[in-house]
Amino acid sequence: MKIPVSWVKDFVDLKVDAQQLADDLTSVGLACDGIERFGAEAVLDLDITTNRVDAMNMYGVAREAATFYGLPLKPLDLKFPESGAPSNESLRVAIEAADLCPRFAARVFDVRVGPSPAWLKDRLELAGQRSINNIVDLSNYVMLEMGQPTHAFDLTKIRGGVLKARMANGGEVVKTLDEVDRPLTPTMGVVADAERALAIAGIMGGASSEISLGTTTVALEAAYWNPLLIRRTAKALGMHTDASHRFERGADPLAGPVSIARFANLANWGAMGTARPVLIQAQGAETRARRLTLNLGSVDARLGAGIPAAEARATLTRLGFEIVEPDPGASAHLGTARMWDVLVPTWRGDCTREVDLIEEVARHHDLMKIARTVPASRRAASLTPAQRTERQVKALLSGLGYREALHVNFVSSAKCDPSQGAIVKIANPLSVDQDALRTSLVMPGLLEALERNQRHGARDIQFFETGRTFRPSPDGPVETPRLALLISGTTPRGWAGKPRAVDFFDLKRTVEEVFARHSIAAFSLSREGVPPFLHPGRSVLIRLDGKACGYLGEAHPDTIEAFSLKDRPVVGEISLDALSVRDALSFNAFSRFPEVVRDLSILAPVTESAAEITALAREQAGPAARRVELIDRFEGAGVPAGQVSLTLSFLFQDETRTLSSEEVERSMEAVRASFSRAGYSVRGVGPL
Amino acid sequence: MSSLDDLKKKAHELRERLEGQLASASDPGGLQAVRDRFLGRKAGEVTALFKDLGKLAAESRKDAGEALNALKEFSETKIGEAEASLERRLRESRLSSERIDVSLPGRARASGSKHPLTLVREEVEDVFIGMGFDIFDGPEVDDDFHCFEALNMPADHPARDMQDTFYLEGLPPRLLRTHTSTGQIRSMLANENPPGVRVLCPGRTFRRDDDITHSPMFHQFEGLVVDRGITLGDLMGTLETFIHAVFGKEYPVRFRPSYFPYTEPSVEVDMGCSTCKGRKTGCRVCKQTGWVEILGSGMVHPAVFESVNGRLGKVVYDPNEVSGFAFGTGIERIAMIKYGISDIRLFYESDVRFLEQFS
Repeated sequence: MKIPVSWVKDFVDLKVDAQQLADDLTSVGLACDGIERFGAEAVLDLDITTNRVDAMNMYGVAREAATFYGLPLKPLDLKFPESGAPSNESLRVAIEAADLCPRFAARVFDVRVGPSPAWLKDRLELAGQRSINNIVDLSNYVMLEMGQPTHAFDLTKIRGGVLKARMANGGEVVKTLDEVDRPLTPTMGVVADAERALAIAGIMGGASSEISLGTTTVALEAAYWNPLLIRRTAKALGMHTDASHRFERGADPLAGPVSIARFANLANWGAMGTARPVLIQAQGAETRARRLTLNLGSVDARLGAGIPAAEARATLTRLGFEIVEPDPGASAHLGTARMWDVLVPTWRGDCTREVDLIEEVARHHDLMKIARTVPASRRAASLTPAQRTERQVKALLSGLGYREALHVNFVSSAKCDPSQGAIVKIANPLSVDQDALRTSLVMPGLLEALERNQRHGARDIQFFETGRTFRPSPDGPVETPRLALLISGTTPRGWAGKPRAVDFFDLKRTVEEVFARHSIAAFSLSREGVPPFLHPGRSVLIRLDGKACGYLGEAHPDTIEAFSLKDRPVVGEISLDALSVRDALSFNAFSRFPEVVRDLSILAPVTESAAEITALAREQAGPAARRVELIDRFEGAGVPAGQVSLTLSFLFQDETRTLSSEEVERSMEAVRASFSRAGYSVRGVGPL
Repeated sequence: MSSLDDLKKKAHELRERLEGQLASASDPGGLQAVRDRFLGRKAGEVTALFKDLGKLAAESRKDAGEALNALKEFSETKIGEAEASLERRLRESRLSSERIDVSLPGRARASGSKHPLTLVREEVEDVFIGMGFDIFDGPEVDDDFHCFEALNMPADHPARDMQDTFYLEGLPPRLLRTHTSTGQIRSMLANENPPGVRVLCPGRTFRRDDDITHSPMFHQFEGLVVDRGITLGDLMGTLETFIHAVFGKEYPVRFRPSYFPYTEPSVEVDMGCSTCKGRKTGCRVCKQTGWVEILGSGMVHPAVFESVNGRLGKVVYDPNEVSGFAFGTGIERIAMIKYGISDIRLFYESDVRFLEQFS
């Protein structure tokens, strides 16, 4: 809100410059975002928090400044002469919806409508308001000055001599001052005359009773409106005005008559109009000052500071709170505690309990004077196992050459692959491109990221991402944390060797590494149930304890085409729940007896599974073979078509003794025999 | 060869010849030949002289023996030195032939990196773990109770306007959390050691905003401390410690009153602008105020404790017995200040030209 410093000075004799005032107001919670200067005038841009409607005006700011500096706050000048027939001869007011409007006040003025005088126009402009005519401007001026919105109706346009606060009738339409027809519903409040709605209550006046240059008498209305109803109506109509902003946050219920008196005073002073006698009022339940109990001991306990009672009393009193005699029962109960009963001024609707009073005292104490302490911790804090696992996986993958990607959770439902399950849709998306929660981190997130990088020539990519995927359930969406991987392009270029295209086995190695460090159970792979966006011959489902927990594979050519990719990325996703911290590491004594190594090459049909051949060899070699691994695979020249040459390496070692070469030979013979039975031809035995 | 003199003369001559031949032997074979020629067990010339010792007069034998031993020792030493020197030369020449161009870059290997938001998040977590905070993960999909109602923002509360919410289709009614303050409620409800709480709740949050400084998805962390005797001074000390740990002790920290529905008193925390270092002039980051907002915070509002107690069905957090403070901020905000990033969208585009700067 724009606050011209000179306007504040009408009510408090400030001795500081604008910058100091800005800093001091910031320190009490009215944050200054900047100072604009227009010649000798300085205008503060204050960011007033939504709870402080009372400070959204010059007088409220002056009250804060007066409290801070310990200076007197001058009262508003509310004196004015009256003349003419009493207001209630030409107008009456009625509250027909007590819930909507607890208090309604009005007075009739004889006016001379015209352009605003310079002082009025200038102040409104400094405060960021456009000048319209002197009467409308004066109504705005009063609102900016003391906070209460008022509305001036052309009295001659009010039919039946009555202003009523009532709910709108179904189908009722009001053309507001901005020339828009507003269809109303019975949940919305209006100010109406005997026949029709004239204005939308607390939000905006109507064109039908607007002040014009020919207007000579006005009815100035000032009411207190139910904040909730104003808020709902403004929201439903998509309207936001200076008046609705104040009413929906809770104005001062008693300010209506004050604002009319201030209008009368200024209208007289500026020769713009004269008040007729009699303030016309209607009201529902009486408004009484809220009474709160303040325990000074709680102030100190909550702030961690010793605030002198005199300081607390001065702050509250200057802000308009009234400290009254304590309830003797309460103070007796609390023994020596210092207890006050405090009456809350009607403009502080935000203060509803003791803690709000504590805040008032704290605001004006200067927070920077409170000693800063760190509370002693009574427990050793740590990450949970799942949190540690995620951190370790991130550290591992960034160490393995993967860059961490991160994407928003929103995707286009059209781009979600149905194989990844049902979709959770957003009821009010920003756009159709972001109308669902992701079901996969790869589809489409990482593949789109690859395509974006490809556009600026970055094709050799290794990405990982962790994040949640979502699927619907009867109890609400289920969130599953996942790890996703993508590699594409070639191995890095360098002087030391030729780059090659990355493939399935590069990513498989990474997956093996992740599981080796973060899985208690062994994982298995199967070709069944692989998502359709993967190449059917180059992809697998990952299972842990038989349960599917992810997939790994090269993108399907259709996928590559759909995402306009230039290379053949390999992608994978693993449920993070399948991974865990391996905190039960333990040492096994290793054998000190000699190792015997034998290699064996065979020819087998290319359709055979290397894993199964290795498993057969391991089984046949017996327990003395501590390790059996595939160390070479070759197709092409020298190998018959449809066949592949495989070389297995066997490492024999016993825990308790040196193995004899006969024992090793017996094992190898068993392997050879089983290979022959399986139809593989044995090419040679090493070491070669 | 009969006299001692002859023998000495012969020995002298052998010494000279040995030195001459050693000087011209340039490879291991040549040196071995010299060794065989002089010290060979069968045909060595020095060896042969020893065989003549017996032919000398008895009184000369002692002198002659000493002379021959000296010759033999001389020969052994000289040949040994020549061998060692040759070996040294050979090794040197091998080493020099093995010289590599050490200016070549290291063998190519893909470089990885954590996301800048992960770097910041882990750093923040570690600072708070050091102060005794557990890390608490909450759901991204939540409901009105945890996101608003329990946080003293009942339906129609004006503060809800600041957090334009995404709602999900279907039943039960669900929304995407607009702030990690949901973690305050969830950690108190799930607390195994009530009434003490000390948690940091980092995670994704969602609001219907999309421009250069707002993303519909962003990250926050929320902190909560509840116990007997927790004060505003504790809030300020803890947050100042945090800011100094992450940004450095050279930045001043300012606390000023503010407003959040779920804290009372509420406190905004500013730190000295790290971009202009307090010079203010022309600084767009701090709008020439010298301060940047870094955290929102405050003492837990009694209404929040009351909501949690209501859900628990018993008074676990009695506002007259316990107090607490809460705080929160955007992880992107910290990363943008710390790394000098001005466009929030860079965080979510996975552009390797961006990511590789955080290696």
